[in-house]
Amino acid sequence: MKTILKYSAALLAMAFALAPIYWLITISLKTEIDQFASPPVWFTFTPTLRHYAGIFAHDAFGHYFLNSLIVSTCSTLIALALGLPAAYGLARFRWPGDWSRGISFWILSNRMLPPIVTIIPMFLMLREIHLLNSLAGLILVDVGLNLPFVVWMMRGFVEDLPREIEEAALLDGESRLGVLLLIVLPLVRPGLAATAVFCLIVAWNEFLFALILSQTQSAMTLPVGIASHVTQYEIQWGAMSAAGVVAILPVLIFASAAQRYFVRGLSLGAIK
Amino acid sequence: MSLRVENITKRFGARDALRGVTLETRDGEFVVLLGPSGCGKSTLLRIIAGLEEPDQGVVRLHDRDITQLDPSRRDVAMVFQGYALYPHMTVAQNIGYPLRVRRRPSSEISAEVEKVAARLGLAHLLRNQPKQLSGGERQRVALARAIIRRPQAFLMDEPLSNLDSRLRIDMRAELKHLQHELAVVTLYVTHDQVEAMTLASRIAILKDGLLQQYATPPEIYHRPANLFVAGFVGSPAMNLLPGTAESGIFHRAGLSIELPALTGARRDLTLGIRPEDVDFSMAEQPGWTPARVWVTEDLGNETLIRLSFDEAFVTLRAPAGTRAGIDSLAWFRIRPERVHWFDSQTTEAIR
Repeated sequence: MKTILKYSAALLAMAFALAPIYWLITISLKTEIDQFASPPVWFTFTPTLRHYAGIFAHDAFGHYFLNSLIVSTCSTLIALALGLPAAYGLARFRWPGDWSRGISFWILSNRMLPPIVTIIPMFLMLREIHLLNSLAGLILVDVGLNLPFVVWMMRGFVEDLPREIEEAALLDGESRLGVLLLIVLPLVRPGLAATAVFCLIVAWNEFLFALILSQTQSAMTLPVGIASHVTQYEIQWGAMSAAGVVAILPVLIFASAAQRYFVRGLSLGAIK
Repeated sequence: MSLRVENITKRFGARDALRGVTLETRDGEFVVLLGPSGCGKSTLLRIIAGLEEPDQGVVRLHDRDITQLDPSRRDVAMVFQGYALYPHMTVAQNIGYPLRVRRRPSSEISAEVEKVAARLGLAHLLRNQPKQLSGGERQRVALARAIIRRPQAFLMDEPLSNLDSRLRIDMRAELKHLQHELAVVTLYVTHDQVEAMTLASRIAILKDGLLQQYATPPEIYHRPANLFVAGFVGSPAMNLLPGTAESGIFHRAGLSIELPALTGARRDLTLGIRPEDVDFSMAEQPGWTPARVWVTEDLGNETLIRLSFDEAFVTLRAPAGTRAGIDSLAWFRIRPERVHWFDSQTTEAIR
């Protein structure tokens, strides 16, 4: 009885969470007439792949998709490469007084600012260095968004490693950099994977900065591209939904590939 | 002289971890740093390893000042209490790591690894991961990793304390033999006085960051420098009875012992006597002190008896099979020629 209740509660929660996804998928498969039918057609419609064919026939979609892929992977890799050494330094080196905590908190506090506050200065700065409407500019901004989170999270993972292992490596003759790359890096891999997935998703979904900072088609990412189906004259629901479904797929793939690490990484102290 | 620390001082916040410790070892010597927890022994070892920086003082290895040198460039190997094996590497990779860091050819590394592994009985475990090993095996891997590159000194921080007691005794003997074969100066930290007595060629006893005594195990045992050393080394511990001296006689209720000339004019003295230097009898003997049997512990090869007299206890070793009921009346005698005298005020031994 208890089990039944538990499962029905879980099913209910799942239905609640997945309803918009269901709606998105069905709309992407419906003709315009079915999309606006009232009362809504739930299951009994003739599916059509017309919208999918439409977006793929439209060159720009593939282009947006590729842009998004480049921006999110590059920004994630850079954020990890910069963030892990920073986190290691904060976790392991001797800082005067309470500086390590102070610096960490300051880094994290950068994420507390509403993005809309920084968007105008960001626009002006990127314009000065000629990175508006470029993928490099978006990568730079996404690194900035993700770096605080990488430092904060990786600092925790490094602190959870037994210090003795690193000391043993130092005495075995290893340099600090060697300790970081050959001892710490392999041991924090689960945490790194979880952090990477988080960064990928943030960068993949990032809309506000991409919208303001990339106004030409050459540098548009997927979220901005999808939104461009809302035009002055009509809203292309079918095309937007189809593009949305395709946009979900990479996130789904990242997350399921790293699921094993994700659960382990988020339950702190996994490496003992 | 191979390893020497001079006047090492270290503070952690408001606490003095080490207060001017000077220590010198001879080539190939096995020195044990012994003391209760918090006495600074581990800090001293970590300073020698380069994992902590001293506030003052110098560390010398073969006449070279290494105080400011990076741990990786000191050419000392360390064995940690928690073994500190690399969990993502196999046993063979763990043992070979110090050679890999030194960029030796891999054929040479695997040959060396096999040699060291065979010596420590690890040959069949080389492909395993550390987490598949027992505590004793992990300890051996840590040792193998330390000896493979023939360092100029070994530092060991309570390496046996995570093992169960039987294994600890086996590993202790093995370690001593291995150290003798390698003849590399070894500094070994422990709080276990039996471990210190059995392993050391010399013991350095630390308390509150100060060196109390640095001597061979027999000398520590038979000529303790002060009350702390006397009470810390030996199991069961030395009996320590404070009393007063008056015209050449040591007084303590129920006990009077003639004082040797060297105690001089001091008034407050403490008498120290080892449990094996106290005689025991269930029958009254002329000149012996009466007491009550508080508890007896039959260990098979001997019997430990704890007597209570005048709100104090005296522990003594009696022959195996000695019978004495709890609370029965008994007599004991302190052998005067075996008494250690201490100044109660300064706690120093009077010799």
